[in-house]
Amino acid sequence: MKTLNEIPHKNPFKVPENYFEDVNRKIISAAAGIQPGENRKGTLRRLRPLLAVAASIAVFIVLSYTAMKIFRPETGSILPDVLTTEFKESCLNDIDTQTLEQYTDPSFLNEGASDLTTNEIIDYLLVENIDINDIYERL
Amino acid sequence: MSINNSDFDIIQLLKTDVNKGFRLVVEKYSTRLYWHIRRLVILHDDADDVLQNTFINAWKHIGEFRNESALYTWLYSIATNESLTLINKRKRNAAVSLDDIGSHLSNSIEGSTWFDGDGAQVKLQNAILKLPEKQRIVFNLKYFDEMTYEDMSRVLKTSEGALKASYHHAVKKIENFLVGN
Repeated sequence: MKTLNEIPHKNPFKVPENYFEDVNRKIISAAAGIQPGENRKGTLRRLRPLLAVAASIAVFIVLSYTAMKIFRPETGSILPDVLTTEFKESCLNDIDTQTLEQYTDPSFLNEGASDLTTNEIIDYLLVENIDINDIYERL
Repeated sequence: MSINNSDFDIIQLLKTDVNKGFRLVVEKYSTRLYWHIRRLVILHDDADDVLQNTFINAWKHIGEFRNESALYTWLYSIATNESLTLINKRKRNAAVSLDDIGSHLSNSIEGSTWFDGDGAQVKLQNAILKLPEKQRIVFNLKYFDEMTYEDMSRVLKTSEGALKASYHHAVKKIENFLVGN
């Protein structure tokens, strides 16, 4: 079996006869019907009404919120104020011993962690464009 | 002016006569861009569509092209993005799994009228198809187009270090595939 170095860098794909002459002609005639930069102006023109509507909605929301703050009395928080220590104690009182032991068992915390191979980690880093040199610097 | 003119000459012509300049751009780069696109999308009809979309896109934005990036890397960047758009569209439209898309493309390579390679070439193309998309692009640009990492960094907006690591890793995977198959 040939290795990568032994396989010639030859292009194995083919095209129909006269393809490149034909496609060049097609591209140039297609471009002739379009003004350069037309797309950009066209997009802005099309978006203008939508931007106007979005701006109106934003102004309405701001005015409504301001009006509510001015004219409605302070209702205060929906949740009662609870001290952190009282909250922690109530959690401990409500939880049973078995559940507590289960949640604090290290093997439970590791459950479901997949075994990742080194190659899978490297693939992830490369696909996400994370520079490996950055990682080395942080270690 | 002929297609052997430098990019600098073409850019100057684009400023004075945009139609003539664009014609030169198409004549100079259509072949090279086609093969880059074809290696990604595999099928000739798809490559044909993507190539035309690439140049129409370039034409529409020719006024925004700044000289900071070379004309060549700018065009490759557009071609790569258009190819990825088609590939992602294929995935969304396919009623089959991604593995089946890969198998379908592998079958398109082997025995196709538009493929002229031997058994080793078939295996190499199948190995390349197994790579993640971005890594496939990096491998193709380096191995077939012999692009420098500096230019590739401009095309793919990725650091040279990451590209070198990606290419090295791609080569290892392909060699393992060739040995194993």
